[in-house]
Amino acid sequence: MKDRSHDEKIERWAKYVKEHPNEWKKHMKLFLDAQVTKANNFYKRLAETEEGKNKIRYILNYPKGKKI
Amino acid sequence: MRNVRDIVREKIERKVDDRNILDRFTEDFAEIVEKYCKYIVVSGFVAISHGRARGTDDIDMIIERLDRTRFVLLHNDLINSGFECIQTESPEKAFDYLDEGISLRYVSKGEFLPEMELKFAKDELDEYQIKKRKKYPLTGTNLYFSSIECNIAFKEELLKSPKDLSDADHLRKVYPEADENEITRIKLEIKRLRMKK
Repeated sequence: MKDRSHDEKIERWAKYVKEHPNEWKKHMKLFLDAQVTKANNFYKRLAETEEGKNKIRYILNYPKGKKI
Repeated sequence: MRNVRDIVREKIERKVDDRNILDRFTEDFAEIVEKYCKYIVVSGFVAISHGRARGTDDIDMIIERLDRTRFVLLHNDLINSGFECIQTESPEKAFDYLDEGISLRYVSKGEFLPEMELKFAKDELDEYQIKKRKKYPLTGTNLYFSSIECNIAFKEELLKSPKDLSDADHLRKVYPEADENEITRIKLEIKRLRMKK
């Protein structure tokens, strides 16, 4: 559930983006890249477990026969 | 603080070293919090840690309710360890925020992201989540999460946005062995405690 601090946070970030048009993307890129890396590394760990590759096919809805 | 041997052992156990900024930030923060009280990481970060390819703008953490004195110690430890509270520099005011049920937001000093959203456990359901907290090896982190059953129940029963429902679906696929009776029980508690008119 979002509270007052969430709205304040959005205002703060929007102000920063507006005032630092050449800098905000660097912060955001690092943060977003970390999230993608994190998801990928989860699948690498899962692939190493028993039945992990089958589970990945199921989770990601891969077509039959798709190699992992 | 972990010594080098612990870190090396941890890396070997994890096999994949993915201590990116997000994990480092969260684990460093949690390590300090754990000195003062129990915590759980909940919501979006749980899903991302289990392979959901979607964004989150912060990490949500619920901690046991602390009295003012103990919270000030925790807050000061966080500040001395390189974190800052965005809303206020005063530990007293920070406590008032939490006490009023408003989240506190912490970042690494001088940074904007990632951001930790910290709140006190607000009822027996949060206390139950903390009591049932778990580490999930597949996440590759040393963090305590609220249980998969709790996460599924909250997302399906209370939050219900398309993103939350997709998260719940994803967690069900990752953990088909999740305890359905427990999920149902938590949903009933959510109705009783969070959805009463």
